[in-house]
Amino acid sequence: MKRTLVILLRNPLSLIGVILVALVVLSAIFADFIAPFPEHRGSVVDFVNFNKAPNATNIMGTDLVGRDLFSRIIYAFRISLVLGVVVLAIATPIGTLVGLFAGYVGGKTEFILMRLTDVFLSIPPLVLAIAMMGVLEPTLMNAMLAVTAMWWPWYARLVYNIARSEREEGYVLAAEVIGASTPHIALREILPNCLPAILTKMTLDMGFVIIIASSLSFLGLGVQPPTPDLGSMVAEGARYLPDSWWLTVFPGLAILIAVFGFNLVGDALREILGADQ
Amino acid sequence: MRDVLRIEDLVLKFRGYTGVTEVLHGISLNIRAGERVALVGESGSGKSVTARIVLGQLQELRSAQVQGGLYFEEQDLNRLSRRQWHALRGTHMSMIFQDPTSSLNPVFTIGVQFTEVLRRRDPKLSKEAAAKRAGELLNSVSIHDHARVLNAYPFQLSGGMNQRVAIAMALANHPSLLIADEPGTALDVTVQAQTLHLMHDLVERTGTAVLFISHNLGVVREFADRIYVIYRGRIVEQGPTQAVFENPRHAYTRALMAAVPRITGGGVPEIQDMDGAFFDPLEVHGEDRP
Amino acid sequence: MTPLLSLKNVSKTFGHGDHIVQAVRDVSFDVMPGECLAVVGESGSGKTTLANMILGVFGQSSGELWFDGKPLPTRRTLEHRSAIQLVQQNPLSSLNPKRSVGASVRLGLDVYGIGSPSDRWSLVEAALEEVGLPRDFRKRPPAALSGGQRQRVAIARALACQSRLVVLDEPTSALDVLVQARVLRLLNDLRAAKGLSYVFITHDLSVVRNVADRVAVFKSGQLVECAETGAIFENPREDYTRQLIGAVPVVTREEIELRNTLATEGQT
Repeated sequence: MKRTLVILLRNPLSLIGVILVALVVLSAIFADFIAPFPEHRGSVVDFVNFNKAPNATNIMGTDLVGRDLFSRIIYAFRISLVLGVVVLAIATPIGTLVGLFAGYVGGKTEFILMRLTDVFLSIPPLVLAIAMMGVLEPTLMNAMLAVTAMWWPWYARLVYNIARSEREEGYVLAAEVIGASTPHIALREILPNCLPAILTKMTLDMGFVIIIASSLSFLGLGVQPPTPDLGSMVAEGARYLPDSWWLTVFPGLAILIAVFGFNLVGDALREILGADQ
Repeated sequence: MRDVLRIEDLVLKFRGYTGVTEVLHGISLNIRAGERVALVGESGSGKSVTARIVLGQLQELRSAQVQGGLYFEEQDLNRLSRRQWHALRGTHMSMIFQDPTSSLNPVFTIGVQFTEVLRRRDPKLSKEAAAKRAGELLNSVSIHDHARVLNAYPFQLSGGMNQRVAIAMALANHPSLLIADEPGTALDVTVQAQTLHLMHDLVERTGTAVLFISHNLGVVREFADRIYVIYRGRIVEQGPTQAVFENPRHAYTRALMAAVPRITGGGVPEIQDMDGAFFDPLEVHGEDRP
Repeated sequence: MTPLLSLKNVSKTFGHGDHIVQAVRDVSFDVMPGECLAVVGESGSGKTTLANMILGVFGQSSGELWFDGKPLPTRRTLEHRSAIQLVQQNPLSSLNPKRSVGASVRLGLDVYGIGSPSDRWSLVEAALEEVGLPRDFRKRPPAALSGGQRQRVAIARALACQSRLVVLDEPTSALDVLVQARVLRLLNDLRAAKGLSYVFITHDLSVVRNVADRVAVFKSGQLVECAETGAIFENPREDYTRQLIGAVPVVTREEIELRNTLATEGQT
């Protein structure tokens, strides 16, 4: 753990990643203190200061109804992170359990679980989400549900492949010969050996979930106004390019920072934890 | 007689997260033309990294620091460019590894791999000439159904067959030095014994010098003319095989010999805890250098 | 005396239709209490299949296994499982890298309900001590141990289960010779002290010579020769046995002589 941290901070690229992630997470947590106009996350209208270019008061300018863009971006980070954490918190355990038992038990269990996974994997993720959002109300809650539904099969695949190869290891045979139960072998013996890979994928996926959620919002199917969301901010601003460039450039940069940061950290983790095995 | 390979005061260090570790503490050895020399030691003693240094593979690692003299047929290997060193491998210097099946490329037939090896020395060699030459080489390792073997993929042949193919390939370009890193350890004992005999006869006939890396004292006794015993990055004893086996002088060599269970019986040997004597200075048998 | 383990005409086939592989053919032998029986053979001889049937990893296709005078079912009771334990070749893989060595040793105690839950850690420590490891090793990960120490942990795991028969599957072939000698001594001492029986699977005849009471030589799934260790080495009946002994790399003059006599006898 300590070693991982040291390596993470020593490599320049992963250090940048750590700084970016810290920036995003800290501003999301302390949004109330950092944002110059906390009330602008809601439906505030200020027709005196609308659509203003970046200036001393509004460093990233204001949007079409006069809200401070900087404040809204900081609150949007909060939404993105919450979305990412909730999606991964649900998708990861489901996918992990499916993959773990399919990979270890084999036979019919493997067949049923993995074909189910394949069905989900065969549908393009965004299409699945759009279809679900078409049926359901476009709310934050449903956006999370849609993204989760398309996310767990990737974890099932990942864990399935690791569990398949771990099944051949001597320690699994040892536990079987002793007579340990299947849940014990899957959860206590094999799962710990899958955790580094799962953790790495989760870090990488934070970035992707943020992108997908933004895409949904961009299409008008995700987070609804007046809640600030990076994707819908870009979508809204796109109509006023290139004159009001700040409306798209700053939210776009914010997406870039978050995604790039999580990816750098994820890549570094993959290298560090992979080398451990 | 001239030396095919001479290593002088070789030091190897690895830079890691925890600092620099010295793996080889200055080892020196030489192999004369046509001589079979064994480097014998336990795992982690530094015997395999020595082979990889001679092949020039370790120097490509950024974390490795290699110092010391390396001379191959009187040329200073340290002055060679990467490309020149690469050109030496497979022509003047070749190698055989522990597991023959995984050291052959699984997606090409044996025949294709033979042609490729032969073309390293003679790029214009025709397919027919290569096949003919491959046939002769297979004969030399007692494989007589050439057509079947040349058209086969490595996984279609047994481990022992692959090992023979690997030996034939390694000797295809008449190298002056063959590096054999634990050859045949992955094979069954009877097959291992056969292939070692075969290799022994073949290098004797072709006059190829061999650097034989092994942990198995018995195998070394049968194969090598001269041995170096290596312990934790230091050569502790060297001399003609017969002399070292009949009269081991270094404490470590003695412990190693005593630890091998005998087929004549006598029970499991009792081994003293590792004592400081293992770090005693080098023991040299006889007049080692002419 | 009743044998601890008996195999009666045991066979095992894998696959079906055109792809039948007969891994073990009509094998019968006994292992007496306190005895070390070496099972010798090369790859494909059926050694591992045999071990897996004894351990109950899978059942035999035909024939019977008996343990301590009673038939041994394929679906083992916990009692059978605790009595028959395994030590594998590669201690690097046989211990879970993500769990402490203590947790690996304790698994059997939990499964069989040996000792009260609060006593089990001290039982684990006692088992580690028996194999010559310090008690506080139980908290360490396998990666912090040397190869020999890991193999000792694997042996401690079999001991802690109060086993009576241990299947040793090439227990020392991944170890250096100095370490091998110590582990073999430990195995010998434990057998004597606890009255254990061993099925010692190996390809190394020089090890067999010094640890086994009897030797069973396997070739292509069949038992070709089974006799007292001394008889096997001094007067092997089968050519295959002779070949195996002749292929052992040896270090002393006496051994070379023994091999040479066997080789010349074989030719006559």
